[in-house]
Amino acid sequence: MPYLSEIHHRKVIEPNGNEVGTLKDLAVVPQGQFPAVQWAIVATGDGEKVVKWSDIAQEIGHLRLRHRLESVPDASLPGEALRLSRDLMDKQIVDTHGAKVVRVNDLQLSEIEGQLRLVGADVGLRGLLRRIGAEGLAERVFGKRLPRGIIPWHLVEPLDSNTPEHGVRVTVPRTKLALLHPADIADIVEEMAADERRQVFEQLDVETAAEALSEVEPEMQASIVTDLPEERAADILDEMAPDEAADLLQDLPVERREELVELMEKEEAENVEELLTYPEDTAGGIMTTDFVALPAELTAQQAIDRLRELQPDPELTYYLYVVDGQRRLDGVISLRDLVVAKPEQKLADVMDPHVLKVDATASKEDVAALIAKYDLLALPVVDARRKLLGTVTVDDVVEIMLPRGWKKRSSRTLAR
Amino acid sequence: MTRLRFYLLALGPGLVTAFADNDAGGITTYSIAGAQFGYGLIWVLLVTAVALTLTQEVGARLALATGQGLAGLIRERFRVRWTAFAVLTMLVANLGTTIAEFAGVAAALSLFGVPPQLSAVLSASLVVVLLARANFDRIQYAFVLIGAGVSISYAVSAYLAHPDWGHAASALVRPEITLSNAYFLTLVGVVGTTITPWGQALIQSYVADKGLGPRDLGPVRLDVTLGSGVLTNLIAVFIVVACAVTIFPTGATIESAADAARALGPLVGPSATTLFAIGLFAASLLGLATVPLSSAYFACEAFGFERGLHWRWAEAPIFYGLLTFFVAVPALFILIPGLPLIQVMFLAQVVNGLLLPIILVFVMKLAREPNLGDLRSGRVLYPLGWLVTALASAMSLAFVATQVLGI
Repeated sequence: MPYLSEIHHRKVIEPNGNEVGTLKDLAVVPQGQFPAVQWAIVATGDGEKVVKWSDIAQEIGHLRLRHRLESVPDASLPGEALRLSRDLMDKQIVDTHGAKVVRVNDLQLSEIEGQLRLVGADVGLRGLLRRIGAEGLAERVFGKRLPRGIIPWHLVEPLDSNTPEHGVRVTVPRTKLALLHPADIADIVEEMAADERRQVFEQLDVETAAEALSEVEPEMQASIVTDLPEERAADILDEMAPDEAADLLQDLPVERREELVELMEKEEAENVEELLTYPEDTAGGIMTTDFVALPAELTAQQAIDRLRELQPDPELTYYLYVVDGQRRLDGVISLRDLVVAKPEQKLADVMDPHVLKVDATASKEDVAALIAKYDLLALPVVDARRKLLGTVTVDDVVEIMLPRGWKKRSSRTLAR
Repeated sequence: MTRLRFYLLALGPGLVTAFADNDAGGITTYSIAGAQFGYGLIWVLLVTAVALTLTQEVGARLALATGQGLAGLIRERFRVRWTAFAVLTMLVANLGTTIAEFAGVAAALSLFGVPPQLSAVLSASLVVVLLARANFDRIQYAFVLIGAGVSISYAVSAYLAHPDWGHAASALVRPEITLSNAYFLTLVGVVGTTITPWGQALIQSYVADKGLGPRDLGPVRLDVTLGSGVLTNLIAVFIVVACAVTIFPTGATIESAADAARALGPLVGPSATTLFAIGLFAASLLGLATVPLSSAYFACEAFGFERGLHWRWAEAPIFYGLLTFFVAVPALFILIPGLPLIQVMFLAQVVNGLLLPIILVFVMKLAREPNLGDLRSGRVLYPLGWLVTALASAMSLAFVATQVLGI
């Protein structure tokens, strides 16, 4: 199984043994599991020449052209072709299995059914040692324990370094990236250049984009949203939880913030604008305006029907808040109590009127302490007249309670 | 807290580097320059102010365009072997700098009678605590504040000592050069402590990690010019002037931290020693919190190993291995009995100055790569950047020729 580093720079000879140049690069079209090597780029005395791989035979120590160089037809590379050495070697790629960005130390090629194919990226120490010609030496010292670190090609997503020098390459849709968990996508885009990040957030479907953006570090969120076309940014913000959208918007310049809110859907925009009026470190600042509020006169059956209609997000479903005509908070019902109640029972009779709540001006640390102390999944937030404004869910306060850096750590170690 | 942090970070890398640049080696080298040659080397600071602004802007542009650190770009453009060379250069220079920071802690604590052996152990443990703390951002700003305080102390002390400002100003633009080995040695040290290999790596990591992009060029450039260019060198000028007035006329040389502390005498009289010790201590720790980390980061970025403090030991063994190396080796070095701490700090800056051109050549060769788009260094920045690189190279080669080969 050859590696690119081993055949790179090999002599290229004509059928009669006349040396005409050296192998400079190989090119593939990045499609399918293991893309076939289709072209060779030969460095000849007068510049680069693109030759079809099928016009070349691999022999020991060199490559032999099947015809004389001048009679080999000039091939040209299509826009979507990847040149292995120029575009992949030493570049960063996404290991979609490990969900992380790694650097290519070497590329593994393999003859499959008579066709040389790109089968893997070597990202291990071994590849590095091979490049400086020390693999053999290291093997003698460390034996077979030297780790291999090869990622099969079908799990690799190249990062587009988009080099204008070589003409615009057709952007390959990052289909493999889209399959990752949004939190992993967030980790990966944090390592990309601004331009590349913008591309990813343009390509992902809005829902995934919104979830991924919520997981990105706050400072970077603002810069991503600034780079995106306004329409797209507004669509993603619509899809995000209002509290997270509001946090993000808070970090943008006022002008840009107003433009985006303008473009958002009316209902989302109103929610976000309301949230923006609360200071960031209060219950109002961290709450979300998404919650389920039901009138007290509904029966249990009607309430369940309503839920079926609303299809609320999972983290908002467990506590159902009971409100009066002025949306004042009267009680709370857990989903469990609702389900076990008799269908004709009124909510007013099933609910727990002693509901724990906080004022919108309470500090977020107090909110976190309450949620922790009473093991709550969410805590309702009210104004001075007991009007229900929103809820703080446990996932909003976990970040307050964990030290910095923890979120990232756990996502990387526990996920596998 | 997040809000506060945002504004502090918005102040930018320039401000942080400005104070981090005046680390143990910086304070010591500028003090020696002022004490030994009066205003004789002050002109160098005007040159380094311009040079540092230029090289930092070139670096910032690289990161803005690519989102990558210097090591990653070197790897992509120059491949594995040259990368190994660049990493080795960086690590040697940084090891020198880290030893200087350890020596700084030891010198500062020696003023309170703490033996250097105890200081070495103490500072090594402090580094571990600093790095293990999740919110070390805030601690870092505490050091920056102390650094700012000490810088202001130098400025006030210089003012109170009634220096000949006219002379200082004219020496800034009309070099008063002494032709001697010692003068040349100090010149290399001053350059080496102002424009550093790790400073070039730091600006890029900083810009890349904050996720800044091409449209942030304006603010970043302003920040680099004000922070790295103006502030760093202004502080240096005040240290040189303070030492030029207080120590130079007495003909004394700086052999120990206590000698260097005398420059703060006009401000606080007999408390000068304490103030100097606190300043040197904070400056050294700020360096210790930055340089080992950025060294391990640089090597791991170049070779694609997991890096960053959010990994566990088993996940990023090379990163943590390097970090340990950068804490343990300097600490052991300081354990050598009778080590002249001031000399160690100073010589580490000379080593940095000698290795600087190598890193600058890499930076400049990347500066006009086509993938930078509009952020390629332009018709003014590019030739000037090469001029800086050429001057730094000439300085290093001349140094090697005269001092090492004895020509």
